[in-house]
Amino acid sequence: MKLVPIPKEKYDEYRNTLMFDCYKWDPQFLDNNTIAEYVLVLTEKEHRQLSDLTEKLDRETQEAEVFLNQNLKLAKPLALPKKVKKEIRKMRDYDSSLHIRLTRYDFHPLSAGYWAISEVNSDVPGGFAEASLMPNEAKKLLESDKMDFINFGNVLVDAIAKKVVPGGRIMLVHCTSYSDDRQVMQFLGDRLEERGYRVLYGAADHLRFCQKKAYSVLDGNEGQVDGIFRFTPLEWLTDIKPKKWQGYFDTITPSCNHPIAMYAQTKRFPFVFDALKEHGVEMSTWRSLLPDTLEVAKAKGKEGYIYKAACGRVGENISIKEACKEGEYEKIIKDVKKHPKKYLAQKRFDNQYLDGENGEKFHVCVGSYAVDGNHAGYYARISKRMRIDSNAADIPVLIEKEGSLS
Amino acid sequence: MTGKEAFCIFTPKGAKWVEWVRPVPFLFSQGEEKRYQSQNLPVPLGYYIEKEMEHTATIVDLPGVESVREGMALAHKGLRPIPIYNGTNGQTGSRTTVDNQCIGNALCTCAEELKTLEISRDALPVFLLDSNRLHRYKMDVTLFDNSWDVYAQDLPIAECFLKQGIQTILVVGKFPAKDLKKILYEYQKKGLLIFYTDRYEKPKKIKIRKPFLKEKNG
Repeated sequence: MKLVPIPKEKYDEYRNTLMFDCYKWDPQFLDNNTIAEYVLVLTEKEHRQLSDLTEKLDRETQEAEVFLNQNLKLAKPLALPKKVKKEIRKMRDYDSSLHIRLTRYDFHPLSAGYWAISEVNSDVPGGFAEASLMPNEAKKLLESDKMDFINFGNVLVDAIAKKVVPGGRIMLVHCTSYSDDRQVMQFLGDRLEERGYRVLYGAADHLRFCQKKAYSVLDGNEGQVDGIFRFTPLEWLTDIKPKKWQGYFDTITPSCNHPIAMYAQTKRFPFVFDALKEHGVEMSTWRSLLPDTLEVAKAKGKEGYIYKAACGRVGENISIKEACKEGEYEKIIKDVKKHPKKYLAQKRFDNQYLDGENGEKFHVCVGSYAVDGNHAGYYARISKRMRIDSNAADIPVLIEKEGSLS
Repeated sequence: MTGKEAFCIFTPKGAKWVEWVRPVPFLFSQGEEKRYQSQNLPVPLGYYIEKEMEHTATIVDLPGVESVREGMALAHKGLRPIPIYNGTNGQTGSRTTVDNQCIGNALCTCAEELKTLEISRDALPVFLLDSNRLHRYKMDVTLFDNSWDVYAQDLPIAECFLKQGIQTILVVGKFPAKDLKKILYEYQKKGLLIFYTDRYEKPKKIKIRKPFLKEKNG
């Protein structure tokens, strides 16, 4: 794995192209440029390794969530939010063949070689255009026919097309006030329209359910919908008033993702691994890649552990002291003491830096997608800081074909 | 003029602060049937900008196209307009809570004018916001809510302003709304002075109270 710099004279045009043609609408975060000046190049061997691990992880995740769904008592250590817990019995008849299952596993290269995973983005993973169009632009810039990439968008749309009737109406459910959400939805919506689907951009409360089927109440676009693509996180959805969202849990309208995703979304997911094993559900790939993960109380007095919020997103509320902004670390620790069940402790791993130009060193996180169990591409971020969060820069991933010179 | 062309005029290479220009309104400037008359709006005078405020970054927070025109007025005075609008268009056929498209259209129109102005690469910034962004009252749940908030990540951090010799933030237009107050409060904590003008009065120093405490106390 290596970082290849984007030619300096081409960078400005590259950045503008990403903004205007590749749905990258959030190129700046505070004082940080969120478009990397590099391309991440994986060897064919690394790609095969990641692809294989992703599919193994995903098989285990799906087996675990289906099992937990039928054995809710085992899900207790997940400490799911109360509002969600109330609804999960509705998922009893969950039929995976009706829905599209999308996940993204966050891999980190280790100093000692091999990989660690920090989590799975099980509920609403993003980064679609960055995993589809950004590598295409990078490939053009590097002018190399020895590099290739996986177009995540094509894989996802193919999977949707297998489950949603041709020409059907699909609502892309998101927080309509956030342009950062809309950019992800707009990318997907445009791809779906190219395939002949009618796309509705709407909020979670623009859907109502009748006899387990979804109907749009969006102004001027009312009527049945044939597919749901949800980008509103489940724990936000269940905060919406009035309570009209229960239908998401038992709908037979093809959904991506169905709320079944919540079992693995909580970072407390590893706390059910032992119980699953007793029932024959092995999580061996997960165990081999995930750093030691403990309840907060059990980590007391142990060296080298960090705290993570069970429902944290984009690197927020992770107590890596040197990566925290002023006052943030103290705030997290205070909250951990107050709500230990909303957190977990995880052994810090020794990340392998990647070298940039002029002595720059970067941490990298390679998000590897699975769609319905199949590997579907990469979304990667780099940062000079240990924690990969909103300050990190998006970087396209290319795969160097075997036999080509480095 | 396309949105991308207009964006490039607002973000000349080598100019300070332009990395904060948001592409969103430029992307949503075309493809709709609405007609706008923003090009005929008079350019205001911006006479509240005084010589002694030379270490100042300005935030214009006015409704819709007015904020774009105010930004142009200040561009005529040598300041650099930095549009940080971040609202999207609604679903075709649905009514929305905010008209965000008028902003994109106005920016494209004004880009022609901006192109003719000589603005120094080191010019002080004028961040442009639409005060209509917070119109999120929905008379009906079925409406498409495209209201939006400005967040700390949409603006430079206080240290960045201070490093560039900026000691004052001047808010022009609407008295700082809830979302902007949170950002200003953090600036104030880091030593930046906050001034406010409604465009007609001389700018005066204001103190931002801790936003959530104020809300709690009513």
